[in-house]
Amino acid sequence: MLLPWEYGVRNLARRPVRTALTLVALATVVMLVFVVVGFIRGLEQSLAVSGDENVVLVYSVNSEENIENSSIAPSSPSVLAASLDSAVKRYGVLHVSPELFLGTRVKTGAGEGGLGLVRGVSLTAPLVRRSVKLVEGNWPGDGEVIIGRLVAAKLGSSTDAMAIGNSIDFEGKQWRISGRFTAGGAAYESEIWCKLSDFQTTTKRQDISLVAMLLSPTGSAAEVELFCKERTDLELRSIRETEYYAMLQQHYKPVRMLAWFVVVLVSGAGIFAGLNMMYGAVAGRIREIAMLQAIGYRRRAILISLVQEGVLLAAAGSLLSGVIALTLLNGMAIRFTMGAFTLRIDSVAILIGCGVGLLLGVLGALPPAFKALRAEVATSLKAV
Amino acid sequence: MALVELRGVFKSFRKGDETITPLDNIDLDIHAGEFVSLMGPSGTGKSTLLNLVSGIDRPDSGTITVDGTEVNKLSRSKLADWRAANLGYIFQTHNLIPVLTAYENVELPTLLLKLSAAQRRQRVELALEAVGLSNRADHYPRQLSGGQEQRVGIARAIVAHPKVVVADEPTGSLDAETSEQVQVLLQRLNKELNITMLMVTHDSNVASIASRQLMLDRGKFLEAIRS
Repeated sequence: MLLPWEYGVRNLARRPVRTALTLVALATVVMLVFVVVGFIRGLEQSLAVSGDENVVLVYSVNSEENIENSSIAPSSPSVLAASLDSAVKRYGVLHVSPELFLGTRVKTGAGEGGLGLVRGVSLTAPLVRRSVKLVEGNWPGDGEVIIGRLVAAKLGSSTDAMAIGNSIDFEGKQWRISGRFTAGGAAYESEIWCKLSDFQTTTKRQDISLVAMLLSPTGSAAEVELFCKERTDLELRSIRETEYYAMLQQHYKPVRMLAWFVVVLVSGAGIFAGLNMMYGAVAGRIREIAMLQAIGYRRRAILISLVQEGVLLAAAGSLLSGVIALTLLNGMAIRFTMGAFTLRIDSVAILIGCGVGLLLGVLGALPPAFKALRAEVATSLKAV
Repeated sequence: MALVELRGVFKSFRKGDETITPLDNIDLDIHAGEFVSLMGPSGTGKSTLLNLVSGIDRPDSGTITVDGTEVNKLSRSKLADWRAANLGYIFQTHNLIPVLTAYENVELPTLLLKLSAAQRRQRVELALEAVGLSNRADHYPRQLSGGQEQRVGIARAIVAHPKVVVADEPTGSLDAETSEQVQVLLQRLNKELNITMLMVTHDSNVASIASRQLMLDRGKFLEAIRS
């Protein structure tokens, strides 16, 4: 038979200051777990939604996996179009997007700025990058750019500085912001897009970085890959876009592993908060615990009651952190090397955060409970 | 047959290099309804004997039988169940749980029995009535006087209708007047409810309320002072 639920609940109010401090400590630990897990989930989600199964990227064979370093002939799109039937063609428009992609220093009108990602695109880009949606303003004309939802976060500038009509500087030229776009959480959301020809002129480049092709139902990525391997003179390679982002996932694996390690370290610190609270709570109740055994309560029942106290406090801390994380952290933009992404406090993050919180409650309560229950009842009844 | 039977009970402790033998081949019979007090100087094994009878300590050798159950042979969990059903314990320092009301403190032992909520309520109310604290049921221990706290402790000890109630210095932490009230209460519970009691005290006045007084010294019973 277990001890009454009220016993565990009311025991938390015995030492209100200690309980409150422990609650804050546990809530802080769980909050840190939410931040780190939200970071990992956001990064994974950003990379997961960035790839389109039907899009193939063709870029320079010499650039390894870094498309920013890729340089291919401007004729590549037409060569590919003429040689392959793999791309979608609708109303006479081939869904092939030549793009020039650069990482370059971008400054806002307010003097803020940082390293931005700029993509020179043609009108076919939205046909291939199907998640991109212009949500405000117009498609860029000469000297104009459209900016992704997370560009301000990527540049570390204010959102106001990125308002439509404002100007930004890069590659020695001033560009007017003509519109804003979203991409369903994909990596493009931290990019600045402008007209390809305009960007080539500004950067004094004739080449492009890549060609993105939307495969038709009859087309296959293998066909494009075979073409690239056969035409060694073009020095091209191809990769399915999903595979490209899966590769980036692998690239960021050490970062994710490090983040998980931080979760473990932070959780470890949290256990000490729980231990401190429960050792204090149990130390003052040695005689009471012995009395409960003397009147017939089994040690298991007392152990469960003590664990219940720890878990109750941890659950309260987790709940508090969960509410704060969901309302304040969820969707917060994070600047990262690949661009920017948002912290994602999803069901998995909630589950892990609250799970860690409850685990802290259990692990924090067990050692002091075992210590108290190991003592001889007869001796403990005389404890001061 | 006696309700409580101790046969050849031996118990010793190591304290540094010294071996202390608080109980040395003790025999004792306590009959149902009897009120036995146990006196003796400090460290002579009074509490040890009480702890052995209540099953919270085990003898080195010998047998302790309560109502036909050889308690020294029960496992730890079986002993807990046995205590819940058969034993009431009155402590010197009340040992009430401060976060529970008087009613909830008294109710604790009944939660271990197979009783309905109504039966539990009835038992708790009767126990509180028996100790004259029905009007303090909703009070927390901090809102009670020392004597009232001890009476709640006594109500907790009798609420499960135990076969034996053991009391370890039940008046040890009370002033003279309150001690007197508790003595009267214990005597009344023994006589009116026919509760078998074993009480440890080093106060001869308190011991005198018992129907039989025993003196323990250096591990052996001296003569029965009164029986």
